[in-house]
Amino acid sequence: MGAMRKTWQQLTWTWKPQGERESGDSIVRNLLLHWFPAKVNKESLSFRYSLWLGTISAVLFLILSVTGVILMFLYVPSIERAYPSVKDIEFTVSFGWFIRSLHRIAAHLMVAVVFLHAARVFLTGAYKNGTATQQNRPINWVVGVLLLLLTLLLSFTGYLLPWDQLAYWAITVGTNIARAAPLVGDRIRFLFLGGHEIGQSTLLRFYVLHCFFLPVFVAFLFAWHMWRVRKDGGLACVDRLRLTQKAEKVAPIKAKTYSLLGITRGRTVHVETSLVNEDLHTVDSSPNLTRRILLVMLATVAVSALLAVLVGAPLEEAANQRVTPNPAKAPWYFLWLQELVSDTTIRIGSFTINGALVGGVLLPGVLVLLLALWPFFDKSSVYAVGAWLTKERRRQDWVFLIVALFIVILTIVGTFMRGPYWNFYWPWEAWPEVPRRF
Amino acid sequence: MNFDSRDRLWIYLSGTAILVITLWIYFVYFRPEWKDYQSDFRDVVAKRFGPDRAREIPSGIQQVWAKDLNRVDRCVTCHLSAEWKGLENAPEPFKSHPREILTKHPVSKYGCTICHGGQGYATDTATAHATTLEHWEEPLLGKELATSYSVSDRKALMQINCNICHRYDAQTPGADFINDAKQLVKQKGCRACHTINGRGGVIGPDLSYVGDKSTEQYDYSHLLGVKSVFAWHVAHLKNPKSMSPESVMPTFGFDSHQAQSLAMLVMSWKRSDLPITYIPGTALGDRPTPEEIAKEQQMQTGEGAFFAKKTCFICHDVSTLGIESATKIGPDLANAYADVQARFGRTLEDFLASPTGTMAMVLSTQIHLTDAEKQEAIAKLKIAYQKKLEQDAKAAQAKK
Repeated sequence: MGAMRKTWQQLTWTWKPQGERESGDSIVRNLLLHWFPAKVNKESLSFRYSLWLGTISAVLFLILSVTGVILMFLYVPSIERAYPSVKDIEFTVSFGWFIRSLHRIAAHLMVAVVFLHAARVFLTGAYKNGTATQQNRPINWVVGVLLLLLTLLLSFTGYLLPWDQLAYWAITVGTNIARAAPLVGDRIRFLFLGGHEIGQSTLLRFYVLHCFFLPVFVAFLFAWHMWRVRKDGGLACVDRLRLTQKAEKVAPIKAKTYSLLGITRGRTVHVETSLVNEDLHTVDSSPNLTRRILLVMLATVAVSALLAVLVGAPLEEAANQRVTPNPAKAPWYFLWLQELVSDTTIRIGSFTINGALVGGVLLPGVLVLLLALWPFFDKSSVYAVGAWLTKERRRQDWVFLIVALFIVILTIVGTFMRGPYWNFYWPWEAWPEVPRRF
Repeated sequence: MNFDSRDRLWIYLSGTAILVITLWIYFVYFRPEWKDYQSDFRDVVAKRFGPDRAREIPSGIQQVWAKDLNRVDRCVTCHLSAEWKGLENAPEPFKSHPREILTKHPVSKYGCTICHGGQGYATDTATAHATTLEHWEEPLLGKELATSYSVSDRKALMQINCNICHRYDAQTPGADFINDAKQLVKQKGCRACHTINGRGGVIGPDLSYVGDKSTEQYDYSHLLGVKSVFAWHVAHLKNPKSMSPESVMPTFGFDSHQAQSLAMLVMSWKRSDLPITYIPGTALGDRPTPEEIAKEQQMQTGEGAFFAKKTCFICHDVSTLGIESATKIGPDLANAYADVQARFGRTLEDFLASPTGTMAMVLSTQIHLTDAEKQEAIAKLKIAYQKKLEQDAKAAQAKK
């Protein structure tokens, strides 16, 4: 009996740590958890501040990896066999329909959540440095923008794999817009497609990118992203405490703090700042942070699974390069681009503005560049770090929200209001009936 | 911590939600539509043929893989009785398939969908029959569609698919609509304006592969009612200018049957990369003659069948047992019983146990004989030798 209890204790001590020492150990001595600090700031844990969007994106990436690896056993990346293999996944593999549906839902959710996460970081000014030393949040912001672009690319490469009409023509639209890039456009398209046409080489390199290279890049950047968060002293809201608190003299800490992990160049933020009264503002990561992570993981899986059951993954007819669907649309996260391209293709007399260049390459190129480099243009003070919609940053917040809203509106128009021949239909106007063979 | 208990609540709620969803998915998995059909079929068979036959019925998803056609058809998951006898008056999906056509078009070689249409991949009724499915263009060409188009014979639409292979037949027994349509093509002189199969005029479009034309390529603006390719063709054949105002095609005054037959014919004109063995009427030059077939039959079922089965005949005749070798690389085994003794100074049994020369190589790598088979060979060669002796004796007598 005593031996059993002892074994049980050894297996479960991290869930119910007895005291601070055990709590610190359960984080610091754990492979998966050691990137978290042993004590975490209460404000960082709040749902109101960050909405935990970063964690949600990570959980979605995990779901995608697990379902993706399962699908890799079943899917065949050959243009003759891709479509039948997806049909077989849908009908004959046990739970195949669910795994595929979950993979697709998690992919779409991840694109949306990553974007929302970027928006949250912008609107809370969390890409800015606070008062601590050796912070470099702007670099982390750039890494984050790269992660956003990689997420979009991952979704785009995955979109082609079923090799149905939806896949083939969405990628046709996307790669044809890329062609409009000046000087290198055709070469980029050739590199993407592995040739001049979308064919076997395209499918294969999209598959390799989708299953290997892009996830590896994401994993690397994700590790860097997390590392930077720790180096920067945690979430940006932590920095506000230093500003709002009265500076107090504190007796030097005799015992070693468990928030210090390893030896790095310089000293971590926690040692440099006189963040007084850690007892008031921090709690043990185990169990508080771990409990919340569990909650967010379960809730994300529940929502994704529910959506996967309710909304099936589409599969249209097998890809046919002789038949273009009317209309042919890019994946929803690029529909704003397609809408922009069609809106900037303006005929003035005999001269036509190249919409693909203006709306498809220049405008989004400028926007992405601005987005990535914004922290270096932001001249607001440290008082605007780590809080929602501060007065100081009001103007930039408004501009960001307006641009984001604009993109959302363009996406809605592209999805619901563009019908055959890209004609505009109001939501209440019926689209022409889709003809059938019989 | 006062947010502790609220977190726990949400953890339990999310966990419960995941549990409920998992149970829901499992329920879907454990009670798919086809399971009910299979258990109903077992009941039907138990009642009609007894419980023993009912027990033989397989469970789980069934499929026919027509390898040469690169098709997989899972219709047989529910339509289990396709090749059964005695269920001709059972309700669908348990009705037996008409037998005669299956002798010429065996299920294992053709599958189901190549004739009937539908989505072979699917394992539930609506998706498999695909009559109103959005992204599958080959629906089941059965009663439902035929009724909606008021085709007089409810089973006729299938003939469209017959003609994909039987295109080059003048007339195909059993495909009466198609036959009528082919007659009309001759009588009305369609080739005066249209090129069909390499012959014809150029006033109208080439119709050789018009069945491949995609749904989007037709103009439905003048078509009333259901917008479908079939409906377009019927309307066009009845009155060409109603569908294409600039057309110079005359109105032939076709009635519904004729217009439907021609529409069916026209939609069957598709490119198909079928193996040549599926195209009827293709005369392969080097088919075996009746004599060759008879000889092959005799070798496989006659006295010397053992030597055919174990491939000895590739090199050896066994003349008195009717086995003829095309190559005659080795000697006639009818003599073997005595010949082995003469050549190698050993008995036949001894030689087979430890052969020398070519036979050593052949019997160790290419032809594997068990001990029992070796005994059988020896016994048969004895008989062959006896027969040879009798034959020689008779020949000697006849000479005298």
